[in-house]
Amino acid sequence: MAATALPRSEAGPADRQRALARFLAEASGAGAVEIARIALLPGGAIQENWAIDAEFDGGRLAGAQRLVLRADAATGVPSSLGRVEEFAVLQAAFAAEVTVPEPLFACANPAVLGKPFFVMRRVSGSALGRPITLDPGLEAARPAIAERLGRELARLQTIHPPRGDLAFLPSYDGSVRQIGEFRAYLDRHPNPRPVLEWALRWAETHLPDRLPPVLCHRDFRTGNYLLEGTQLTAILDWEFAGWGDPDEDIGWLCCKGWRFGRLDREVGGIAERAPFYRGYESASGRRLDPERVKFWEIFANIRWAVIALQQSDRYLIGGARSLSTAITGRRATECELELLMLLDLDGARKRTAADA
Amino acid sequence: MRDLPQSRDLLGLARELLLEELLPLLPPERARDAHLIATTMAIAVREAAGGQGWREEIIGLLNAFYGESGSLLRLAADLRKGAFETSPSRMAAARAILWRLTIEKLREGNPRFLAANGFPAGDKDG
Repeated sequence: MAATALPRSEAGPADRQRALARFLAEASGAGAVEIARIALLPGGAIQENWAIDAEFDGGRLAGAQRLVLRADAATGVPSSLGRVEEFAVLQAAFAAEVTVPEPLFACANPAVLGKPFFVMRRVSGSALGRPITLDPGLEAARPAIAERLGRELARLQTIHPPRGDLAFLPSYDGSVRQIGEFRAYLDRHPNPRPVLEWALRWAETHLPDRLPPVLCHRDFRTGNYLLEGTQLTAILDWEFAGWGDPDEDIGWLCCKGWRFGRLDREVGGIAERAPFYRGYESASGRRLDPERVKFWEIFANIRWAVIALQQSDRYLIGGARSLSTAITGRRATECELELLMLLDLDGARKRTAADA
Repeated sequence: MRDLPQSRDLLGLARELLLEELLPLLPPERARDAHLIATTMAIAVREAAGGQGWREEIIGLLNAFYGESGSLLRLAADLRKGAFETSPSRMAAARAILWRLTIEKLREGNPRFLAANGFPAGDKDG
């Protein structure tokens, strides 16, 4: 929903806008900053993204600038980074030449806008999933987009621990801890989820060999990259980033939940696996093992199911009055169907054949 | 006795009104919200029409599986422990309950997704 008031705080909208202008001027070395327009961008279930058009009088951003301010929404999900931490991850990705919006300033001081935020350059393009997967005008370009995503991911994975600038990220000790966290969540959830329990048991007993950890985006998927025409202009939404397995983001991108009406195209609804794998393998020098990727695809479905349930919790427990948020928990059952299809191929064949 | 028309029929009419007459009047940025409301109404219609039928069948399957009073909570706990992994027939029976549960939930919640994956969206699962 479009709006013109910055994130809520005790100060009024005009005070907050003045405080933001002062912050931008100080951070950029400008004599003054005049904010011409502020509008809440659509999407962003967990974060608020505000488009800002501003005129900088001198300093490192002198002139007219198109920016995005990113702050927490009213309620979040537990695994999300804070904004200042997300800013550090974005800086690391930018420095590694991953295609991301240039990170500019972070502010941890709640006195400015009532909560921490960061500011980055605004990049042109659209991230809407269905146009990306269904627009006939993109048909010929989709394999190349998938290949580019593979190269981008390989570039991201040049970032690995230890990193002083990312010291706040928890160390990665394999997926066992995540399995324990998912189970602890399910123990608190009011409804039993036996399909997720079965899948978690499978994951626990089929752990892949460990590879050296890398920086994972953890929401690397269609819907989180911008396309301007057929060109990828930015990878967005780094709030879940952390150290993890190199195949984790691949499993997430291929997870059926992100195919936006093109279930047959296994890479984010845009392409077969081959062009994505080609891009990744040529840039990383690492050959992908289908069994490892399958593990991470199963893991992605478990994780997406838990996140979907947590989204509904924001209404059920947190009181967030958002239909979009409340209804997301229903998607957990879609993940469970996919888990059954991946883990019980014969059962899937029997039940789909009944329809033939 | 409730008055007629039934709530599920009224919801169906309300959904038609929303999608066919109100949606074209909305600015494009609110179209997604209108579709979400329509989806919510459709779920409510299907859940009202479905009654308690499949839930009672699942409880019956669980009772038969355990030979006594069963529950999804118990099945979930047993699957976490790998309780049926040494018995292929028990595991197959447990999987059959998982399939039935998941398919029935999606028949109410998202039959289009079920159909897109090649599953019958309307008839009973075998």
